[in-house]
Amino acid sequence: MNDILFDVGYGHFLVLSAVLFLIGVAGVLIRRNALIMLMSVELMLNAGNIALLAFSRMWADEAALSAHTFALIVIGVAAAEASVGLAIVVAVFRGRRTIDVDKLTTLRH
Amino acid sequence: MKIYALLVAFAMALGAPAIATAQPAPQAQHFGDVRTGPPAASYSPHDDIVDGHGMGMALLFWAFAIATVVGAIFVISRRNLIAAAMGMVGSFMGVAAIYMLLYARFLAVVQMLVYAGAIMVLFVFVIMILNRPEDEPVAPTGHVGQVVGGLAILYLIGRLVMVLWTVELPNKAAALAAPRATALGHAWGSVNAVGTDLFNGGLFPFEAISILLLVAVVGAIAIARPLSEDSNDEGTKGV
Repeated sequence: MNDILFDVGYGHFLVLSAVLFLIGVAGVLIRRNALIMLMSVELMLNAGNIALLAFSRMWADEAALSAHTFALIVIGVAAAEASVGLAIVVAVFRGRRTIDVDKLTTLRH
Repeated sequence: MKIYALLVAFAMALGAPAIATAQPAPQAQHFGDVRTGPPAASYSPHDDIVDGHGMGMALLFWAFAIATVVGAIFVISRRNLIAAAMGMVGSFMGVAAIYMLLYARFLAVVQMLVYAGAIMVLFVFVIMILNRPEDEPVAPTGHVGQVVGGLAILYLIGRLVMVLWTVELPNKAAALAAPRATALGHAWGSVNAVGTDLFNGGLFPFEAISILLLVAVVGAIAIARPLSEDSNDEGTKGV
């Protein structure tokens, strides 16, 4: 027990990443609000970044720095995704006065 | 809400000085003069961990991990959208601190700027524009949806536990907290090192991401602009 509490190693960071990812998945699955779903997607991207950087830290050499580059690019993609996703939310709300994804069924038929 | 704010404040107050002391000493060698610096063998792994037994490291990790997870739970459990956004900010701050514990200093700052700054402002703006209470926060799905969703989450948890269980990890605090005696030494994860890697190996992704961001900006404006009949009215008024 003391080992788990006081000897913080790479496994701790990986488990934290897994927990964060699962919370994001749960948010996308149980919430029906498009904004909350976007936030949950951001949480999942962050969880992936934590895992990347933990593995990068494990090797801790010059080649492993490419994980930092990768994480930087993931952050850029997340920013682009958030801007386009929020624009879609605003456009949908303007047309339908709701962002409840269960009520957006026009394309279903 | 107050309890969470207190928790975050406590974690920040606890973490800030400790992270400051966890940073390498000012006389740490720079990336450029690695080869003229002391040989790696003379480097002691205990030079810059918070204390000799990794206790401070553990304290920091747990404080920020709890802040991260509690913030994430806030995001998916709050009915109030602003509360969810603030939970997201707390979670992102915790993630930035976790990056710092992993010696990804540049990325920690980028995380603060991009996520806790820019993306949070974007979300808050949209929440303010919509300004609409949620009708049904949680999906009223039928039994089939609940069973399938529950099974999917259980399967995901099971796979993650299996992977983390089988991977043999060096679970030693000192090995994590101290930068390994590499050629880069203290400069590992600095702006200089990350930038060198970005503009050597990652040049094409870098250019691709700039085009992607340009397309995202143009696309966001094109999607979110008013409908054509509205814009005619605004156009006659003179913009």
